[in-house]
Order: sequence, then structure tokens, then C-alpha cells
Amino acid sequence: MTPVEKLLLNEIINLAVLAGEVLLKNGAETYRVEETMVHIARACGAVKVESFVIPTGVFLTVSDEQGHSVTTMRRVRDRTINLDRITKVNELSRRLVDNRIDYPDALAVLKRIARERTGFSLGPSVIASGIVGSTTAVLYNAGSYEMVAAFLAAAIVRYIAHIVSRLHGVQFTFEFLGGMVAALTGVLLAGVIPQLGRDAVIIGGIMPLVPGIAITNAIRDVMAGDLLSGLSRGLEAALTSVAVAMGVVLILATHAW
Amino acid sequence: MGLKIIAAFLMSVAFGILHRIPTSLLGYAGTVGGAAWLVTALTREFGGSLIMANFAGSIAIGVAAEALARRLKKPATIFIIPGFIPLVPGGEAYTTMLYMVEGRYIDGVSMFMRTVLTAGAIAFGIFISSTIYRLFINYITERKAYHAEKN
Repeated sequence: MTPVEKLLLNEIINLAVLAGEVLLKNGAETYRVEETMVHIARACGAVKVESFVIPTGVFLTVSDEQGHSVTTMRRVRDRTINLDRITKVNELSRRLVDNRIDYPDALAVLKRIARERTGFSLGPSVIASGIVGSTTAVLYNAGSYEMVAAFLAAAIVRYIAHIVSRLHGVQFTFEFLGGMVAALTGVLLAGVIPQLGRDAVIIGGIMPLVPGIAITNAIRDVMAGDLLSGLSRGLEAALTSVAVAMGVVLILATHAW
Repeated sequence: MGLKIIAAFLMSVAFGILHRIPTSLLGYAGTVGGAAWLVTALTREFGGSLIMANFAGSIAIGVAAEALARRLKKPATIFIIPGFIPLVPGGEAYTTMLYMVEGRYIDGVSMFMRTVLTAGAIAFGIFISSTIYRLFINYITERKAYHAEKN
């Protein structure tokens, strides 16, 4: 621990708050963000660490033996989902706590994690989305026509997501549009091919829109006692579902009329 | 049945890709999803209700995810998110919308309640099994520490 103790409070807080920001941006649970920041700051030699995290921001206070303390906050705006980055930051914090990596290396690694493009590019994720759609159709006892159509619907939904996310649009726009596109694909294909079941196609199309992260994090936040984050994430999940449902309902209502 | 288990496995893997979980863990995520669907289907087969079956399936998800997380030293979320996708009541949710559009409000509300209760069963299944698993692990580690102290 000898080289570590010379670190300034500002350096400690830079590393810890960057780690928290990366975690929160990519969809980690609240308690994981709080604990990781505390672990990292302690491992760097801080004596007293307090952290507070809500889904839209990170607060961190770090103190040394003389009682000097530094507080910082980061506002987290555009949140994405990237569990790969969460795993990597988790691994980094474990290594730092076990003294298997020193401060400059940790900062460099963390900056690389925050910057690098990880995960899959557009092509594979469109195909993955299509697979989610077609396997949903299989689980709902659909035939091979519906499987292909559901693959198409879900893949188009994912492509729409790619376009909308580039526009950095308003929240819930993409879910609403996705619901509309899935329903539109089902209705149109069923109009062209009479023996096609419309329902399985639409169910498959809306399946990639299920707010998996929001639901899981809401449960785990409530479990950990972070009621504020748990409630707001539960509301996020509920609003997302309502947006998808309204998209589908509008198309179905138009079709029925 | 066999085809559907494969479908559930592939669905979990594909949802994992959508949420960018690490590539080396995709197989584990798919296994959790397939196992959860199998438990749900078997509970239905032996006469359990829809809610009961989903509760049993999500208990399987919680236990499997916590065990894998502890074993592989990775966040449990990675296994939970793809795992519960085959159980999501998408069909019920869609039928609710359909009834509402057709003006069959009574049927729609009853289907909506079924959707919400199923979703609640899944959420609380994961909640309860994770909590109990952690309590169990804590109990074992504390007992080990107690015995080590006595010796």
C-alpha cells in the first residue's frame, strides 16, 4: 500500500466517480454503483467514503485522516444498456481491492472501458432481435409462417431502435414506435397472406421491447432497500410497457375501424 | 416440448446479445432461460395454475442466477435478465390490448389482471429466491466462522 497512500483526494475521487458514472450509464443496480465507488475509494487510501446514487445522478464524498473532504457529483443523462461494461468495471474494482492493479493502470483501464465500443454491432443485434421474435412465436404454438413473419417484425423493431437512438430522442419514443411497427407488420402481413395468424407475429414483434433491465433493477433495488431508485425504475418499466401497448392499440384500433 | 425448450434457450441467448452480456456467458444465460421455461411447463403439466407455474419458474431463475453469480464472480443481473424472458406474459398482454380495442372491457380487465398477477408472480419469485439464497449462504458462512472460532 505504500505508493497508494500518496494519492491526493482529487485523484481518488476522479477514479471512483468515473467508475460510478460508467456503471450507472450502462444500467447497473443502485447498490452496486454505491458499493463499487466505496470499495474503489477505500482501496486507493481514503479513510471515510460516503456515496449516494439515484438513477439520474451520482454523489460521492471522500475524506482523509486529517478530516479534509472532497465532494463531487455527476449528472447521468443518456443511459444505455451494456452489461459487458458492468462486468468489466466489477472485475476492475475486485482487482483494485485485492491490490492486483495500481492507480494509474486502473484509471487507464477505466477510461478505456468507458470509451471502447463493446458488444455486438447492428447486424448481429438485428438478427438476435429477430430470433427473440421467432422463438416467442414458437412458444405460443405458431407455425412456420408465423415464425418467419415474427422474425421480420422483431428485426424491423430493432432497426427502428437503431435509428431513433441516433437521434437522441425523448424517452419512450422508441418503445411507442416499436409497438406501432410490430403491430403494423403483423396486420399488413396478415392482410397479404390470409393463412397467417396475426397475433403470434405481433407478440413476437413486441418481445424485444420488454424492459428487462428496468424490471430486474427495480426488484433488486427494492431488495437492497434503495426505495427511491426502486420506485423510479419500477415506474420506468411500467411507462415503457404502456408506451408499447399504446403503439399496438393505436394500430389495432385503426385496423378495426 | 423439446422444440420449445430449444426455443426458450435460443430466446434467452438472443436477448442476452441484445443486452450485450459478455459473449462467454451467453451459454449460461440460455441455460437459465431454458431451465426456467422447463420448470414452468412441468408445473403446468402437473396441474399448477398459470400464476403458480410462473412463480415456480422464477424461483428457479433466482436460485440459478445467484449460484452462477457466486461461482463465476459476475453480477447476478446478467443471468436474471435473459433468464426471465421466456416467462414474460406477452401473449396475455397482447390479448388484453385486443379485447380493449374490440370494446370487450370486462374480458379485457380480467385478462389485464391475469397479466399483472403473472408479472407479479415472476417478480416476487426472483425476489424471494434471491433473498432466501443469500440468507442461506450467510447462515453457512457464519456457522463456519463460529466453528472456526471454537476450534
